[in-house]
Amino acid sequence: MNRSLAEKSKAFFKSWEFVLLVILCLEIVVFATKNPKFLKPAVLLGSLNDIISICIISLFVTFCMITGGIDIQAGSIVGLTSIIIGVSWQDFGFNIWTAVILSVLIAAVCGALSGYFVAYCDVQPMVVTLGGSFLYAGIALLISNLSATASYKGISGFPDSFKFISKYRFGDVLPLQVVIFLVLTVIAHILLKKTKYGRMIFLVGINKNAAEYSGINSKLVMMSAYILSAISASIAGIILTSYLGTAKSDLGATFTLQIITACVLGGTLSTGGKGSAIGTGLAAVVIGVLKFGLPLSFGVNQQYMDIPVGALLLVVVICRSLATNPKVVALTHKTPKAAIKKGSVKESLKAL
Amino acid sequence: MSQNTEGVAQLELLKVRGITKQFGLNVVLKGIDLTVRSGEVLALIGGNGAGKSTLMKIIMGIYQPDAGEVYIGEERITSFRPAVSLQKGIYMVPQEPMLFPNMTVEENILIGFKEKHSELRSRLLKIMKDIGWNLDLSRKALSLTIAEQQIVELLRGLMRDARLLILDEPTSSLTFDEVESLFEVVDGLKKKGIGIIYITHRLGEVFEIGTHVAIMRDGLITLHGPIKDFTREMLVKGLLPKNVEEIEKEETAFEEVDYAHLEPVLELEDFSGYGFKDVSLKVYPGEILGVAGLVGAGRTELATTIFGREKPLGGKVLLNGKDVTGISTKQAIDAGINYVPEDRHLNGLFGIASVASNTTSSYLHNSSLGRFFLKDQKEFEITQKYIDDFRTKVTGQDQEAGSLSGGNQQKIVIGRCLATHPKVVILDEPTRGIDAAARGDVYSIILKLKQQGVAIVLISSDMEEIIQLSDRAVVMYQGYKKGELAKQEICQTSLMNRSFNIEVTQAEEA
Amino acid sequence: MKALKRFTKAREAGSIIFLVLLVLLVGSLNPAFLAPASLLSCLNDSVVFTLLAVGIAFVILTGEIDVSIGATMGMSAAVAATILRDGGSWMTAFFMAIIVGTVVGLINGWGVSIMRIPSLIFTLGVNGLTRGMIYVYTTGAWVENLPGSFTKLANVKLVGHLTVFYAVTFAGVLAANYVTNHTKHGRYFTAVGDNISGAALVGIPTTGTKITAYVLCGIFAALAGMAYTSRIGFVTPTAGNGYEMKAIAACVLGGIALTGGQGTLLGAAIGAIIMSSISRILVFMGFSSDYDNTLTGIMLIVIVVVTTVMQNREIIRNHHEILLARTSEELKTVQEGA
Repeated sequence: MNRSLAEKSKAFFKSWEFVLLVILCLEIVVFATKNPKFLKPAVLLGSLNDIISICIISLFVTFCMITGGIDIQAGSIVGLTSIIIGVSWQDFGFNIWTAVILSVLIAAVCGALSGYFVAYCDVQPMVVTLGGSFLYAGIALLISNLSATASYKGISGFPDSFKFISKYRFGDVLPLQVVIFLVLTVIAHILLKKTKYGRMIFLVGINKNAAEYSGINSKLVMMSAYILSAISASIAGIILTSYLGTAKSDLGATFTLQIITACVLGGTLSTGGKGSAIGTGLAAVVIGVLKFGLPLSFGVNQQYMDIPVGALLLVVVICRSLATNPKVVALTHKTPKAAIKKGSVKESLKAL
Repeated sequence: MSQNTEGVAQLELLKVRGITKQFGLNVVLKGIDLTVRSGEVLALIGGNGAGKSTLMKIIMGIYQPDAGEVYIGEERITSFRPAVSLQKGIYMVPQEPMLFPNMTVEENILIGFKEKHSELRSRLLKIMKDIGWNLDLSRKALSLTIAEQQIVELLRGLMRDARLLILDEPTSSLTFDEVESLFEVVDGLKKKGIGIIYITHRLGEVFEIGTHVAIMRDGLITLHGPIKDFTREMLVKGLLPKNVEEIEKEETAFEEVDYAHLEPVLELEDFSGYGFKDVSLKVYPGEILGVAGLVGAGRTELATTIFGREKPLGGKVLLNGKDVTGISTKQAIDAGINYVPEDRHLNGLFGIASVASNTTSSYLHNSSLGRFFLKDQKEFEITQKYIDDFRTKVTGQDQEAGSLSGGNQQKIVIGRCLATHPKVVILDEPTRGIDAAARGDVYSIILKLKQQGVAIVLISSDMEEIIQLSDRAVVMYQGYKKGELAKQEICQTSLMNRSFNIEVTQAEEA
Repeated sequence: MKALKRFTKAREAGSIIFLVLLVLLVGSLNPAFLAPASLLSCLNDSVVFTLLAVGIAFVILTGEIDVSIGATMGMSAAVAATILRDGGSWMTAFFMAIIVGTVVGLINGWGVSIMRIPSLIFTLGVNGLTRGMIYVYTTGAWVENLPGSFTKLANVKLVGHLTVFYAVTFAGVLAANYVTNHTKHGRYFTAVGDNISGAALVGIPTTGTKITAYVLCGIFAALAGMAYTSRIGFVTPTAGNGYEMKAIAACVLGGIALTGGQGTLLGAAIGAIIMSSISRILVFMGFSSDYDNTLTGIMLIVIVVVTTVMQNREIIRNHHEILLARTSEELKTVQEGA
């Protein structure tokens, strides 16, 4: 391999993922010290239950952001998925798992539509997915009207096999949801860092022109990112519906900003070209633990949780800006540049 | 104050003395002296990289000179800011108009003025009437043709009571009629006593509307004076390097290409596209075909159209006899053509990606790098091969390509192209902005490729480079192929003449 | 085709035409819609959105974004409402709300313009902070029991069925629109968004312009907050949640491009009217107001895709024109001794 284990370890310790890991550990230590109940595995791992959806979606919105775009319709797709499951199972008599698959397929179509406009029509991702967020939330509401159940009530009474997804805990401790999240994190990580596809995602985001000159189909690559993120939103919707035991069309309405926060905190550059599934996953967990731990251990009101999250984001992003500020860089680095001499061709040839 | 031949007092609008400027270790201006008087049209000629645009930016207050003095209207300039130059009456019409695309013509011209709108509007209309231009003021700037955009820029200058106008290659994108109409405008301005610095490549224009001429070469003015004192021959000579004796062809161990027994690997038949027309040429395996010409001659457009970046408009491209006209970039790479882009930052380099990622980006779709999973080992081998072969200085394969020096960056991009095992490699300005040592390395890479039987198309603005490396050369001028030279015919003069579209007999060129 | 072309060129006229056509369409299906009371209700109900849309328009024109505007509105509303509830004067409430908006605007302007942090990210963080601060300030409770004199203000009619609120708002929008379209400094916003390097070249202070845009956005958010308080009569800690997205959507509907440099404040105001009227329009047309979001989404996507595609076509066409011009003229060769 091109790098020894020692070199790889060194690189890891300098990485942002490591910093996030340290923050996570600090959080756990601080919260556990204040309230030992925090360390109970069932409690600790269960804390993520509420935020699993956001964690999962963030993983794949990262793909969109690496290509230089953004996806703010994911939240609406969660609700759309949920209500499709509910209505098709209850009112149309579909088998629950057929309903699930149907919802994923529809989500993929939604993602493909927006992805097409972004990639092939060159429309700004923010606007397209903004429109998408309204559209899919609206469609979700209309679908809920197809049901006999009043939309504000939500559809419930799902079969146990469905509820199993969110109820089961390995060894009574590790929720299946969390395992799904971990598996997805690994999948996302492998996709991004180990496959040709992932490599293309990065290249397209770093320099779309150069990717085109390398013969990469940048349009297809970009569109695929939006399809993936939509599918992840539907997976999150499935899990959330199972967890709450109710299918409602407005699930996920408040997720968007939290998802973006997790992505950015995880090291993803909003301008594209940089991002990491592990970073996003860790960041999402950091945020989740923070939102759970502060109320539990310090009695901070749950409603105030936006402050530490927002503050964390700002601090990270300001520090990053300072770190790349040319004046600051000049103070800390001194790279010798080779002299640019316009030597004659003769001289250059002589050197051969 | 000096007087012209008719004894009329002429105001010194601009005087620069001893201007030097360097960027890092690159000395662009080495001591420029220049004067422009009212009513003069100073044609400023110079090859690519001579320093013209840097000098203009200093006059416009965008850059500050390292040494020397600038006098505008006999007043010494101490503070270099665009607002200052604008206020003193200098305005530059850039080669690429810098308008606000979504504002109307009127808004574009009048933005930044303090006076009442109605006042400004009537002044603008009067100026337009004086010159005889009829432009619809309510049109959006992005709907204008380039000629019209340049007129808008000109009007901006006139509205600011510019006493000195700098026109940077104003006719490079104009049609014949538009050029004529521009000349009439320039004439009118001349009569009004406005001074003009007219930057151009077109020697014909120099004699048509210039009153004076100056030639810049390598950061210095090599020629300056009233146009009537010069002939075309003298101008061309002024563009050549100081040691005018032809650079002796080195006895090199280059293999002579055996044209008689070879079939062309790449052939263009009346190939036309956006920016070039009816180009026919052949490229043989193992030869280096130099493509010379000035900026805007259409060489890059030709290359990028062959490479699938733009749609062709006519003619054929044949690769080993097979018709590959209009294929996509990916197909071109698979078929065996690859292209090293002119602007490596814009189109070539993945700045924040690793050296390895950069090297394998064109080769990703090949199965040797894996079917779904990327074969790290194979990527490592490919990258290492090119790092070693090219003597690229990197701290490791993970180093970010953007942090390498220009020369090493260029080696990476070239390595990427070669990794796809092309039969034809098109290099677009491969040694631009890189140091001498890296240059030598790039030349050795090119020569090695030649030995391996790869056909190389070398697009370059560096005449010495073309002379030394090419087996044959073609010159392009304004989208047309203007000459094909055999090895012994390639020299400074022959290349220069054709680049400027000057027709000369064979005898005179020998 | 030509008509469509003109629509994209005069974006503001386009939104106005769209609105008029919409009104006529609905009116033809249900004449009751055209009753003055009904039409004016559309306007009256759009006060809050109009203020938000116009505020964020300043920022979008300069090529940036502000997703904290909803939170700023909520915070100013909470502050104003609390002062009023506790017996403070209207002037104090007004003044403090404006301060809130200005402070948030300055922070945003600093982060984006001076620290060069991408605007989406920075305003996202500020949004989180401000949202949380609302809870801290109100201790999570609703702010109720506001003086009746204040809450009745929203209903005070100027003439006929038109409220003072809307009249004043619209007058303000017209004035602001005039300033940004016709005064030297007003044009800076659009210039910076259209071509920031070109703007610097003609001497426009780009940093200051962006900061001003954010401050104005904050102030308008504060005004929206007060209008909201008066109209609703109480303020909850979640006031303004999601309003930033609606404000952005209103701008897009009104012809403002998210890339900056295109559109007018008047267009934003028209877009706001359209956005807030959709529910009512749907009802009058016999549809359930549940179609609101769906319709908004479709409109947004269609408008933005069509205008972008047409614009890109134009750019490519220009580019090709330049290249073709090179080879179209007769080559004049310079003959020796000519």
